[in-house]
Amino acid sequence: MSEVLTSISNAIIQGKKDDIGELTQKALDEGQSAQDILYKGLMPGMDHVSDKFKAGDMFVPEVMRSARSMANSMKILKPLLIETGVAMIGKVLLGTVKGDLHDIGKNLVGMMCEGAGFEVKDLGISVEPEAFVEAVKEFEPDIVGMSALLTTTMRSMGDTIKALEEAGVRDRVKVMIGGAPVNQSFADKIGADAYAPDAAAASDVAKKLVKKS
Amino acid sequence: MQVRKTNYQVNATPRLQVLTEDAIEAIYYASLRVLYETGVRVYEKEGVEVAHAGGAIVEETTEDSSLVKIPHYMVDKARSTVPSKVVVTGPDRQYRMELFKNQIYFGGGSDTPYTIDPYTGERRRATYQDVKNCARVAQALPNYDFHMSLGITQDTAVGTYDRWQYLAMLEGTSKPINITAVDLEGVRDQLEMAYIRVGGKEEWKKGPIFSLYIEPVSPLSHSKEVVQKLLFACDHDIPFVYTPCPLAGATAPTTLAGLLVQALAESLFGIVISQLRKPGSQLIIGGLMSNMDMLSTIYCYGSPEMALLSAAYTDITKWLRVPEYETAGCSDAKLFDEQAAMEAAINISTAGLVGGNMIHDVGYLDSGLTSSIELMVASDEIIGMIKRILQGIPVNGETMALDVMKEVGPGGHFLEHDHTYNRFKTEIWQPKLIDRQNWENWQMAGSKSYGQRVHERVIEILEAETEPLLDDAMFKELRRVCELADERHKGEELDVKMFG
Repeated sequence: MSEVLTSISNAIIQGKKDDIGELTQKALDEGQSAQDILYKGLMPGMDHVSDKFKAGDMFVPEVMRSARSMANSMKILKPLLIETGVAMIGKVLLGTVKGDLHDIGKNLVGMMCEGAGFEVKDLGISVEPEAFVEAVKEFEPDIVGMSALLTTTMRSMGDTIKALEEAGVRDRVKVMIGGAPVNQSFADKIGADAYAPDAAAASDVAKKLVKKS
Repeated sequence: MQVRKTNYQVNATPRLQVLTEDAIEAIYYASLRVLYETGVRVYEKEGVEVAHAGGAIVEETTEDSSLVKIPHYMVDKARSTVPSKVVVTGPDRQYRMELFKNQIYFGGGSDTPYTIDPYTGERRRATYQDVKNCARVAQALPNYDFHMSLGITQDTAVGTYDRWQYLAMLEGTSKPINITAVDLEGVRDQLEMAYIRVGGKEEWKKGPIFSLYIEPVSPLSHSKEVVQKLLFACDHDIPFVYTPCPLAGATAPTTLAGLLVQALAESLFGIVISQLRKPGSQLIIGGLMSNMDMLSTIYCYGSPEMALLSAAYTDITKWLRVPEYETAGCSDAKLFDEQAAMEAAINISTAGLVGGNMIHDVGYLDSGLTSSIELMVASDEIIGMIKRILQGIPVNGETMALDVMKEVGPGGHFLEHDHTYNRFKTEIWQPKLIDRQNWENWQMAGSKSYGQRVHERVIEILEAETEPLLDDAMFKELRRVCELADERHKGEELDVKMFG
């Protein structure tokens, strides 16, 4: 493995978000392809981070810093990847559902997904079902992720899925849900494709969902 | 620079105080009256002579004891030479207890007849291997600062088990140890072992590697063995714990204030005799005081009175400026169960908050009759929690984080901010065994209760490969002291299977 790719992996693990841009450029200058930088530099670093996090050896602020480093590198790589026709791992559309202003969990999911190599679009808080539908048409995500903290707002998840069906775009996406009051059986009940109990699980679930489709 | 802030006070740590200075003084002067008017019974002639030569009144002398009355000026004089600080270290000096006002150190308790077998959960007589196991666990636990046997080695000879017990502890830990001794000869042998371990008498003087546990008998009695050990400890620069164990309603007044007066009088006698024998002799006064349960008659190790009395006694010793022996991490439960966790959490918190110095009995169950490695491991985490609380909340510009709040703004989040990244590990305590997973992950990890996780950690520690602390030559030399003791006592009743 090339030295520069190893140092990119290490920079991801150490969360060197301010140095990663320079390193990415250096790798490109040395003739590494954007694809190799992504799959042989960034991704192995993030996989390592993910393993350490699951083992309890790394903590959320550290993982977020690694994910931010990944995102900073991807800013440079993305146009090149598109240019060369290399498929990104996938696109994730996120939002806290209508009536709910809680977003820390959803933000975590966004960062973890970015860290896993997804392109993430975050619609923010209290997102109307129609806004999800519009964004699906426009952004063409592989996955729609919905979050809610309140038992009173978790019903909006079902409404949003219905809205996607009515607009005829439900089949184009996989729907993933999360948040303190929901669980797998609720996901089944409203016809979501997947449920994740936390942000780390969410990025794993997202990876599985795009593999299947 | 113009200073605007005035009269600004901070608590660097949270505070707990049971007794006011006035109450402490009332107790102290009451103790002086007890020593002078009621007196203490001393069962050792040499001790009586030392006291008498120092000015004590000696009365009611019988064949085996005398009533000794101590005038208050003798106490004043003794207080002027008793050290306000005692240091005990580990043999390689890595671990160190600096015992003085407001310094906390946690450790085990001494000779329990029983232990809970870590594998079978069975309560049985403790053995050499158990004592070694407890010491190995003590070595592995970060919040465990000193060690006591947590079991009597009952597969060794009855009259010499203390040497074997010390050897088992030395095999398992290099932390400071508080030893017990069968008799004076037992102290002598263990001191010889300590010289071997630390590298000679001069090294010992640079830092003793054990303290000696001495327990006078409540109410107000000082037995032959106790006084002999005390005098020997003074003569040989051995720091010693002088701890009566008064029992409210049984061996002390049922009122806690009365118990404190009595306990203090008992300890003050130790201070007086030791300072007469050798000014500067090092005491740690204690520390185990509780109530009798008036239904079962047991000595309560988990009662709120135990925690409260220990805390009050800490207040008294802080005022006296004498290091203190304190009690926590113990319970009356028969197993490591909910009661054990609850009682240990309460008494560890109280002892930590008040600032007892040498806080012992971590791992005691069954009113001090049974040791539990599981309770040791669980207590380590409780101590971690209380240590976090004791770090308090520093309030300053950086910690109030106004700039950070402004930067993040309403509706933002702090997870990604440098302020979080740079401080979360020091600001927020991370548990090791306490579970904080969400339901799904907890389920995936086997749906384990705290007790199950503690048990697994115990087995993990016991089965971890560790470097031996004693090399072959040293082990043989130490063992030789034990064997010679057995040899000397060969003629005696030494049935090692006395418990069947």
